[in-house]
Amino acid sequence: MKETLKLGIILFVFTVVSAGVLAVSNNATKGKIAELEMAGSIGALQEIFGEDVKFQPLEENKQNQIIEANPSVVEIFEALNGDSVVGYAIKNISKGFGGDLLLMTGFNIDGTVSGMRVLEHSETPGLGARSEEPEFTNRFIGLSTADDITVEALSGATGTTNGVLAGVNSAREIFNSELSN
Amino acid sequence: MKLFKIFKNGIINDNPIFVQLIGMCSTLAVTTSVSNGLAMGLAVVAVLMGSNLVISLLRNSTPEKIRIPAFVIVIATFVTIVEMFMKAYAQPIYQALGIFLPLIVVNCIIFARAEAFAFKNGPVASLIDGLGMGLGYTLALVTLSTVREIFGAGSFFGIPLFGESFQPAGILVMPPGAFIVLGILIGIFNVARRKKATSEI
Repeated sequence: MKETLKLGIILFVFTVVSAGVLAVSNNATKGKIAELEMAGSIGALQEIFGEDVKFQPLEENKQNQIIEANPSVVEIFEALNGDSVVGYAIKNISKGFGGDLLLMTGFNIDGTVSGMRVLEHSETPGLGARSEEPEFTNRFIGLSTADDITVEALSGATGTTNGVLAGVNSAREIFNSELSN
Repeated sequence: MKLFKIFKNGIINDNPIFVQLIGMCSTLAVTTSVSNGLAMGLAVVAVLMGSNLVISLLRNSTPEKIRIPAFVIVIATFVTIVEMFMKAYAQPIYQALGIFLPLIVVNCIIFARAEAFAFKNGPVASLIDGLGMGLGYTLALVTLSTVREIFGAGSFFGIPLFGESFQPAGILVMPPGAFIVLGILIGIFNVARRKKATSEI
């Protein structure tokens, strides 16, 4: 009994020290990590809508309501030119070939796709990883949101293409039903 | 001199990948590009040196009976630290390594070195052992990923090497290619190692 207690206390000390060390390194890195995540989103938004457009997160109540109904949605941004809303960008998660895809799809208020970016993925290099490249993402520009969005698949990466399309189309449905009017 | 032998053991005589054949899962999975292979290797070097050092320093105050959970705590702490810093300062690589970065916790190379070396040897030797084993692992990953990336994707560190007309052998960057290339490399490495061993006698 006494020995068990002693061993338990030793392990407890190990975990306390470990937690302390982790707290320190978390403090040292968390600011930088949040900054990078925000910079990544803004960078993608500017590539999609152009440099002159300003961005702000969608009004919180509406955003939460949409996210509750569509758990794959991560964040929604409004694109503003002056005071008028020119479009929306929906950041959502879809299932790729090698894991989750984090996508950002921008829609113009007139009902066309203004651009698409794959923000994070774990697809195969040389195959599905080419979904990041402009050659693929440019295929989405200007497509109408009235119908199901389809593009020519990446050769050798049908699974990735389908994953991207599923994500883009679920964003399209949210845009059509919640945002476009 | 003894320290140099420990170091060399990790890289050549007891190379974790080519000779001991441990830690295979992450090896096969991350070596699709050289930058991934190198980053994974360096992450393992960092964790292995840290955990070997701490486990060696604590070896006299850690009771035999709870050494395994103690190892897990030490290793998991180092992996989490590496993960946080990679996420903050090397995000593209952090994303590329995905699940395999946190899975270093259960990488058997690190466990094997803790149990077989660091728990029985002094801190300096353990640190050198961690460096040697880690670099041996990195060497194997970089070699494997170089072959796979050049022939499977036609590039090196993401820079295209051949013209537009080059048709890469896509199978090499896919899972079967990992087994094929690893098998061939293990063969070459061991033939060379044995030749050297016999010539030394």
